[in-house]
Amino acid sequence: MITKKIFSLLFDFFVFSLGLMSLLAPFILPQARSLNQQTATFPIMISLILGLCLLIMIFEAQYSLLDSKMIAFLAVLIAINAGLRFLENAIPGPGGFSPIFILIILTGYFFGSRIGFLMGTMTLLVSGLITGGIGPWLPGQMITAGWVGQSAALLTVFVTKLGWKGKPIEVGLLAAFGALWGLLYGVIMNLWFWPFLGAGVGQTFTQTVSATENLQRYAAYYLATSLVWDISRSIGNVLIITIMAKPILKIFQRFKLRFSFENQGVTAL
Amino acid sequence: MINFKRLSYQYPQSSHKVLDNVTIDIPAGTLTLVTGASGSGKSTLLRCINGLVPHFSGGIISGEIQVFGSDPIGEGVAVMAGKVGFVFQEPEAQFVFDTVEDEIVFSLENLGISRADMDRRINEVLNELDLSGLRHRKTNTLSGGEQQKVAIASALVAQPQVLVLDEPTSQLDPISADDVLKFMLALKTQRKLTVLISEHRLERLLPYADLILNLSEDKTIQFGDPQQVLPEIVQVPPIIEIARKFGLSPLPLKLETFPEISTDLLPSSNAQSNHSPKIEGETLLSVHNLNTSFSCRTILKEINLEIQGGEILVLMGPNGSGKTTFLRSVLKLIPSSGEIYLNGVDIQNLHFSEVIQNIAYLPQNPNDLLFAESVIDELKITLKNHGQDLTLINYSEFLDHFGLAEKMDQYPRDLSVGERQRTALAAITIHDPNIIFLDEPTRGLDYHAKRSLSDLFYQWREQGKAILLVTHDVEFAAHLADRVAVLERGQIIFVGSPTNAFTNIHGYQTQTAQLFPNRGWITPEDIENTTKPTF
Amino acid sequence: MINSSIWILWTVAVMVITLSIRNPFYLILVIVGLFYLGHRLARQKNISAWVLSNSRFILTMILLSTLINGLFAHVGSSVLFTLPKGWPLIGGNITTESLVYGAINGLMIGALYLLFNIINLALNIKQITRLIPRAFQPIAMVVTIALTFFPSIQQRTQEIKEAQMIRGNQMKKVADWLPILIPLLVSSLENAILLAESMTARGFHKQANLKAPLALVSLILAAFAVFSGWILQVYRYPRPIYITLFLLGSGLTVLTLFTIGKRSKITRYHQESWRLLDLLMGFLITFFLVSFAYLALTDRLLSLNFSPYPRLTLPRIQTLGIIFSLITLLPSIISNHD
Repeated sequence: MITKKIFSLLFDFFVFSLGLMSLLAPFILPQARSLNQQTATFPIMISLILGLCLLIMIFEAQYSLLDSKMIAFLAVLIAINAGLRFLENAIPGPGGFSPIFILIILTGYFFGSRIGFLMGTMTLLVSGLITGGIGPWLPGQMITAGWVGQSAALLTVFVTKLGWKGKPIEVGLLAAFGALWGLLYGVIMNLWFWPFLGAGVGQTFTQTVSATENLQRYAAYYLATSLVWDISRSIGNVLIITIMAKPILKIFQRFKLRFSFENQGVTAL
Repeated sequence: MINFKRLSYQYPQSSHKVLDNVTIDIPAGTLTLVTGASGSGKSTLLRCINGLVPHFSGGIISGEIQVFGSDPIGEGVAVMAGKVGFVFQEPEAQFVFDTVEDEIVFSLENLGISRADMDRRINEVLNELDLSGLRHRKTNTLSGGEQQKVAIASALVAQPQVLVLDEPTSQLDPISADDVLKFMLALKTQRKLTVLISEHRLERLLPYADLILNLSEDKTIQFGDPQQVLPEIVQVPPIIEIARKFGLSPLPLKLETFPEISTDLLPSSNAQSNHSPKIEGETLLSVHNLNTSFSCRTILKEINLEIQGGEILVLMGPNGSGKTTFLRSVLKLIPSSGEIYLNGVDIQNLHFSEVIQNIAYLPQNPNDLLFAESVIDELKITLKNHGQDLTLINYSEFLDHFGLAEKMDQYPRDLSVGERQRTALAAITIHDPNIIFLDEPTRGLDYHAKRSLSDLFYQWREQGKAILLVTHDVEFAAHLADRVAVLERGQIIFVGSPTNAFTNIHGYQTQTAQLFPNRGWITPEDIENTTKPTF
Repeated sequence: MINSSIWILWTVAVMVITLSIRNPFYLILVIVGLFYLGHRLARQKNISAWVLSNSRFILTMILLSTLINGLFAHVGSSVLFTLPKGWPLIGGNITTESLVYGAINGLMIGALYLLFNIINLALNIKQITRLIPRAFQPIAMVVTIALTFFPSIQQRTQEIKEAQMIRGNQMKKVADWLPILIPLLVSSLENAILLAESMTARGFHKQANLKAPLALVSLILAAFAVFSGWILQVYRYPRPIYITLFLLGSGLTVLTLFTIGKRSKITRYHQESWRLLDLLMGFLITFFLVSFAYLALTDRLLSLNFSPYPRLTLPRIQTLGIIFSLITLLPSIISNHD
């Protein structure tokens, strides 16, 4: 059992760092910032590696978990979440506000990192399919949303260690988490998109730019494009989570046993 | 052969045994009708046959089951899928795919059947159920009856020896129900199936059942020939009730086989029925010339209808005739033309919040309403929505009328189906509206729940409220209705007395009326109540 | 109707080629080809003004990326004007070169966007779902069921909303959505249990033999191989080394997934037909792709690279480059013969 847990943690760590490193490559690798042919391959390679990470995570998650109950459970929640995504456009106000995160966060929080990950990725995939909009940004969206759900599972550690379960502060923690990811989601999506925009190619054509310069440039790009979006997303998340988290968690609690995929076991009297 | 030997089962986290020492042998090729009140274990027993209990549900099981040589407890559901086909109660909810063909193919794919065989089997089953024309249709565009036929096809395409159906017609209207059963029976003969089917409305299947299995409330089981078991069952269809009244033996199972009873043995026919409005109330709702269109189709044409206080008006009609549209038009949820007067005021001049102050609406799925933590909270929410004072009501007294006084603080979803319905009803009537709309409230309810419901109706009637009841359940309506309206294809084709409706309109005749035409009787009670004083 | 696997092959080829091009001339060719193809597909489907709406989007994209790069990168020798250096981040020279560089980025993104748009036109949801590899069968199941379930969610939401409105819910605040979400959630989860029963009763089961830790390990190794190959390429290690790593990684991934998929005992009813035309196209595209890769890696296609820096000059054009850019027209040509 323990070896299984260790293996699982190592696995998570490895795949996550792989993804993270590729995203941060423009800042870490000086070659990313030089003006030669290398930059052309950056978008491809980063997307490819992220895609591989996505593939691996999905592969691992599906086989550890998915019996008919979990499949139906996920599918139904994803359908609801995809429906909620349509509301994104219906709600007036600055874009970026997205009601899909509450279910992703709560599913990951309550049912574990794997389910949370699948919830995130599949919500984006299915809503992409429904709107007839598979776009080139889908893999990036999928893996980032997946990370939202996956990391939500970490919150359980806090809550149990600090005995916060059932208290209002639990909701507060979840809301803060939602706020954080509201921003992070935008940051990561932009990070992924950044190489496509040339990754802040250098000051001069002979020298390569230092990492901090590039970071600055990225910050500028981020501020100009997505900060407003992300802030409204964060605020939206806080609002929705504060109001709806408790009732939803209660429902999850009631259904947890019935969906328990560790088969209760058939015992004979 | 299906054998149960000392089978006992209890659900996880449950303290009592749902099935206790059941020993039954079901011969091959028979049709067994499984009956019993809700919660008696019907569904559980049926699910033992293909292994859903205990493999899907968990829990503790003991005893033995043999299904044509296989042991579901030992083999598991995936193996049993090839031997036992299962059809569930909710037509659309059991579909995995969105097209008919894909849905039917699903079991074949799971069983790893070769592609050549697949084609043959699919064509075969589509023909048998008359679904060939629907092969590429989306399942959500089909009617409930067609959907259940697709479900049967999906089960039978695996060529099982046993077909189990768990209340397959309870969500269907009578015409679809008959259609589905007709096909199912033909298939039983053609494919030499052993069929087990559970039903509340016994009259549909009584003529065809070889055996009846009754799980009664005291946990005993009656199993055998219909003639043996029927005397032991309390809740029986009208035909049996009437047969008992006249002491007939053997009991006639079909209307056609009911013997002629000479007129001198019959109580004197009293044309005055006890089926007319008790109170001459004032007109609470009046609808003139209502026309409703939806996406370029006319759904309602020139509807004229009035409802008085203190009466139960039953609205009947085939599926798709516009009954729900009618309710929604009156509630101003969809645009319509015509005049609607609520308590004498033109509804055009009323704000939506004023309309709903006076009309309560119970949707087809009462669970749609429940979202609070406790029964009493549901009541308070409605009051808050209407801006009324929460402190003025004696909640336990109010809930007592609904039989829910003790359940005041319970989580609504923990309650039984009937209790949940009554919670919803309490929640929508707490602000004392004087008109109540109910859309198909009897679906899937057992006898007890229906009794509680009709008791509520009588109470409201006493209070002078108007009740508009949309239902398919002719026998239930015959007991309660003060007036009947029939809607067909968007037009009212009949408004009048229940006696008239349930005796003369084809398709809406009660069993009593069919057995004794020209006597003005529409329920078994009418046969002895003819000496009751009339108004 | 072109087989959907061929479409995917074509998409991969177009992506690889497009992402390798920095030459604006070629990129424009690619985009023109895609527009043509998209226009024809859209016409088949009776979608009006496809070219118009998409060109608006693409132009906006190009404009945006031009501006972004122009404003933030202050490199290049043809200075248009200068913003005060004091201004944070955007202060400095605004040069033609950086604008052009931004425009090239925009062209590339635009081409990718168009490409995916075309795939959405060419393939319907069913076809896309069926393309999910066998190894991901459970996920394909999740997607299928979610798609099946979705319309009923919309319907249920409407029903619940009406019922609650009649009860007095005024639907003004966010909290007013709770009475709709909660019943929806509960009834959907109840439905899910029923669905699971229905699936199980028809033989669906977890394919236990598909859970192979070995497969996982091999996938991780493959990903690591690709990643290290890339790093080595960035640090200018000899070509044969990183190419081998790439090939190793990709090959291992495909092999693993294929092997796992083969173990699944589930048979498939729907199988798309393969016609001679599909095979021909498949062959052509593969040939295109392989020769492209070879030529590019052996530096015979230097015109692909183009940099406006230090000074803006006209891009080089090779006939080979033109030919490869026109891969986008391949489906149109083939379907003309249909």
